[in-house]
Amino acid sequence: MSATAILIKDLCKEFPVPFRRETVKAVQNLSLEVPAGEVYGLLGPNGSGKSTTMKIVLGLVRPTSGTTSVFGVDSRRVESRENVGFLPENPYFYKYLTGLETLLFFGKLCGLAGSPLRERSRELLHTVGLEEAADRRLGGYSKGMLQRIGLAQALLGEPRLLVLDEPTAGVDPAGAHAIRDLILQCKQRGITVLLCSHLLGQVQEICDRIGIMDRGELLAEGRIDDLAGKKNQIELVLENATPALLESLGAMSRASGAQVVSQRGARTDLEKFFLDVTRHRS
Amino acid sequence: MNQAQNPFSLSLRRIWALSHNTFLELVRLKVFYFLLLFAFLIIGSSLFTVQFSFQNPLQVLKDVGLGAMSIFSWLLGLLCTANLLPKDMEDRTLYTILAKPVSRFEYLLGKLYGVFLLLGLSVLLMSLLFAGVLAIREQQEIAELARNLSPENLPAAVAEIRAATFQMNLLPGIALILLKAMLCSTLTLLLSTLASSSVFTVLTSVVVYLIGHVQGIAREAWLAGGQASPLLKVLVAGMALAFPDLQLFNVVDEIAVGTALPALLFWQVAGFGGMYILVYFLLAQLVFSTREL
Ligand SMILES: Nc1ncnc2c1ncn2[C@@H]1O[C@H](COP(=O)(O)OP(=O)(O)OP(=O)(O)O)[C@@H](O)[C@H]1O
Ligand SMILES: [Mg+2]
Repeated sequence: MSATAILIKDLCKEFPVPFRRETVKAVQNLSLEVPAGEVYGLLGPNGSGKSTTMKIVLGLVRPTSGTTSVFGVDSRRVESRENVGFLPENPYFYKYLTGLETLLFFGKLCGLAGSPLRERSRELLHTVGLEEAADRRLGGYSKGMLQRIGLAQALLGEPRLLVLDEPTAGVDPAGAHAIRDLILQCKQRGITVLLCSHLLGQVQEICDRIGIMDRGELLAEGRIDDLAGKKNQIELVLENATPALLESLGAMSRASGAQVVSQRGARTDLEKFFLDVTRHRS
Repeated sequence: MNQAQNPFSLSLRRIWALSHNTFLELVRLKVFYFLLLFAFLIIGSSLFTVQFSFQNPLQVLKDVGLGAMSIFSWLLGLLCTANLLPKDMEDRTLYTILAKPVSRFEYLLGKLYGVFLLLGLSVLLMSLLFAGVLAIREQQEIAELARNLSPENLPAAVAEIRAATFQMNLLPGIALILLKAMLCSTLTLLLSTLASSSVFTVLTSVVVYLIGHVQGIAREAWLAGGQASPLLKVLVAGMALAFPDLQLFNVVDEIAVGTALPALLFWQVAGFGGMYILVYFLLAQLVFSTREL
């Protein structure tokens, strides 16, 4: 088994603009490596080339130059997709299939069949909370429900790599939370995840490393703690703390020369970092 | 499951999953209602032909039925295929499918095979309906004759009626009707991999269909008298190559009037059709495999 899940080397992608000579440079000179077992977050403003990069990694779009490989297999080969689950952005499936039928269909494409496939599909419908809608046609699904069936479909073939393009877009807060937990579970089982999301708080909670793209270029990359953590600060979460305890904690801190900085989670840090990185370009 | 795979090996299971799904899609889009039109046409003309007295009514019915079957199966194949790829691309369902270990070749083959299944079933249903209506009319005609004719004239008249109804010798002709529809569907698939709108696909496919039917006559007319310029000859040859001579598939008209279809001719036409299907499909694959999704 290769220790590298995704390897991208000098990737460029240009889309032709109809009736014009110029091209849209969706990805420019992108190189990155995601080791197996890592959760990697790809961030960036709209149109910065995140989805395009994912599609190239999955062999859906051909690069203009550069190479990508998945577990050591070139993305252009069909085998590179054997252990991969993909959730496209705004997933849209066959309207005339029910939720269960959709999973059975995609399961067959993954090489599953018979009762193991049925069991797995039922189990995943339960996991994404669609048991009740299993026998309804997808034409009647809401956006968040489509997102959930998309996630179930991505998990079907016991993938070793999950590529998720905005997995929580349109999902309600509880659902988003559940999806976050699901991704964390996958991480615990050693599954590599390439994720792209605009919800920085969520990215901060799940990802080991992030890369920030803008106009097709990778501007910054690294471990979240290194990029956005404040090493001289620590967060204390207390339950059932009495005012007296807080008072004395404050007093003790002041006595030792520390300061209590009121802060709701470190998520504002990543947000600030993100804006810093992407703003000074325009 | 994680074994590396030969890129050229095809998974029949995946192709079957795709074609089954395509078939299901077409069925759930209610394309079979289209066949109700055929039913109305056949039953309607069955009632109408009673009034013809100058010609054998069963013969008229048979001609109408076979002609309708030919047109309906062609149109069904054309309309079902034209939107198959564009819709998957537009809805981006194609992304989800091709993100699984499915090659574009398997995808295309699965789609086409799904249409073939639908066509096969449709032609079967139309043939059954057609044979049923003819059988009922046959009984009516024979009963009518039995009332009017004297016993010694009856056997000959009955035999004449029987000859004009549905007979097993029509089956090869119907098989060629199916093959023609399949050929036109494959052509439509090829056009849809090239085109960016399904209006273009449908129109072009119809034009090729028409050219395919008149090209035999045109060829004879243009090349008549041996005066054709070399340029014209090349053009005509090119046309004959690009567009199959669809008139060849209409042997069923001959069979309908009682001419027997030689086995050799049948296999020649079938081979000709099969070859065009193969070539069109491979061209479609060639275009599709390089196409930006
Ligand atoms: N098929 C295509 N044809 C032409 N241009 C394209 C195509 N796909 C993407 N682009 C262009 O490439 C650029 C990157 O698009 P991409 O979808 O990768 O952005 P993104 O980072 O995923 O944005 P978002 O956050 O909005 O999802 C955009 O400028 C887009 O217009
Ligand atoms: Mg995107």
